Amino acid sequence: MDVIVCVKHVPDAETRLRAASNGKWIDPDGVKFTVNNTYDEAAAEEALRLKEKCGAKSVRVVTVGPPRAEEALRYVLSMGADEATHIETPADALLDPLTVARLLAGVIKTLPHDIVMVGKQAADDEAGVVGSALGALLGLPSYAFVTELAPDAATKTLKMHRYVEGGEEHFQGPFPAVISLLKGAADPRTPTLPNILKARKKPLTKVSLADAQTRAQALPGAPASGAVRSFALPPPKTGAKMIEYQTPDEAAEKLVKLLREEAKVL
Amino acid sequence: MPIGFELTAEQKELQALAAKFAKEEMAPRAAECDKKGLFPEDIYRRAWELGLMNLNVATEYGGSGLALLDQCIIAEELAAACGGMTTSILANCLALQPINLAGTPEQKERILKPFCADYHLASFGLTEPSGGSDAAALKTRAEKKGDHYVLNGQKCFITNAPQASLFTVFATLDPEKRDKGITAFIVPRDSPGLSIGKEEDKMGQRASSTATVIFEDVKVPEQNLLGKEGEGFRVGMMTLDSTRTPIGALACGIARAALDHAAKYSLERTSFGKPIAQHQAIAAKLANMAIELEASRLLTWRSAWLVDHGHRASLESSIAKCFSSDAAMRICDEAIQVFGGYGYMKDYPVEKYLRDAKLCQIYEGANEIQRQVIAREFLRRFA
Repeated sequence: MDVIVCVKHVPDAETRLRAASNGKWIDPDGVKFTVNNTYDEAAAEEALRLKEKCGAKSVRVVTVGPPRAEEALRYVLSMGADEATHIETPADALLDPLTVARLLAGVIKTLPHDIVMVGKQAADDEAGVVGSALGALLGLPSYAFVTELAPDAATKTLKMHRYVEGGEEHFQGPFPAVISLLKGAADPRTPTLPNILKARKKPLTKVSLADAQTRAQALPGAPASGAVRSFALPPPKTGAKMIEYQTPDEAAEKLVKLLREEAKVL
Repeated sequence: MPIGFELTAEQKELQALAAKFAKEEMAPRAAECDKKGLFPEDIYRRAWELGLMNLNVATEYGGSGLALLDQCIIAEELAAACGGMTTSILANCLALQPINLAGTPEQKERILKPFCADYHLASFGLTEPSGGSDAAALKTRAEKKGDHYVLNGQKCFITNAPQASLFTVFATLDPEKRDKGITAFIVPRDSPGLSIGKEEDKMGQRASSTATVIFEDVKVPEQNLLGKEGEGFRVGMMTLDSTRTPIGALACGIARAALDHAAKYSLERTSFGKPIAQHQAIAAKLANMAIELEASRLLTWRSAWLVDHGHRASLESSIAKCFSSDAAMRICDEAIQVFGGYGYMKDYPVEKYLRDAKLCQIYEGANEIQRQVIAREFLRRFA
């Protein structure tokens, strides 16, 4: 059983963002990018557990992104993945999620894959498209928002769990398949120092954008994708009200009054 | 070859690991451990699990096998969360360095390997109640008796001593011989006659433990002699030459945390209708703090670079340790001043940094001794 996990290099949640001058995305200059967003890290952890607990043969991590995105691959290699593939795009390329899914699918098609894992959405553009699109492009079932999974290699069946409105769902389906993770059964591990050093020696294959595009041509249909018209940061918050007071009791009293009469939340 | 300051991708990953551990696991507990003088053993165990503990031990013996510059990068990140915890985490590097330098392959196999294979703490035993700076005058006696040595005496201010399972100890075979009589030994905690005295109640770095170690007729087998008889002083000095630089990095970490807090506060706190950072008196303070931190880090990195490239760096490591720890005291002092009355209160984090930074001027060679070394090394060029 070969497992592939797809991750995205995203801006760190604590970094300060500015809109880029072209008004289409953030200005990446001076932005600290983090290795992975929460959902991708959960997918990586779950992929590694498939190897450790369910006898998967190998875990390969794949990303589409500029040269800096290699960091994300190294991180997942440090967590314990065996190999990495980097579909390298120019630093200023702005790719829509469907294009990303096509590039991934074109390359994944040429690699052994029984289970393809992705985070349910990226932490930056929050599109949530890649998982479902990958399934369609690869001609595989895709299971979304999964929180637990247990493969049975003999019957090629996955038993899965997810939360649905007002309850929980246990379901099953065949694999090979694409699975998008909401969260995993365990917190994502922190790579240890010796594993960081070992990860440097693990194989990392680069695939050029042109090469990936060629491979993607053979995929079914090429629907037109949406494009970003404009991007802006949320306007600064206004309307904060400072309470003037002499004693804590007075402050509490004024606060309760405001919450009750103005905000009407009490 | 050109000089470069860009960290390698690997160094950035090590830095990110240390920063993550510092932020998520050390920082949230720092204030409580400081207040109550707690020794957070679970955090130290986790540091070992992540490979952040035996940084200078070769990988073949189960350590992380890092260059000194990499150790410094990690030390700064950890210390930005808690100076005391960092001291306890790095204490193994100090205690094990005599074995790295003078141990035989047999000793490394027999002692280092099982030590590093699990969570263990070690302590470096040089300082004594009657003095630390004049190391050649130490009083702990070692006597050769057949196939073993017998140790008698006391070591004080020993980091991690209450929890340590292994000690590297410096004792004299003949006090008359001063430095030529000093000999180094590896002493397991369970050696009969070895006991731990009172645990010190310290001004700062209170998450680290410090105690006296007492030797009463402690038998040490010949196999645990480090190097040859009379080589101990040289082993001790070589150890300190290579572990002094990370103290500079540790001071940088404490100072960086103080400066970060002061900078953020200066942008939030207003007086006379504007953030205090816009008042020249405060802006100049912050600028001076930034200058001193930058200089400290560059001195530290250069010293580490020299050691990593096989150069003797007694002068540069003393400069790095001395300047960075003095600078950290000034930076932490000014951080309190930026916070005003709030800075003096224990509800705010900055007063702790000053108490933690103070120890960096004292341990691993007091700054007075560093200046003596610096002057001696420097004057040699003119003699």
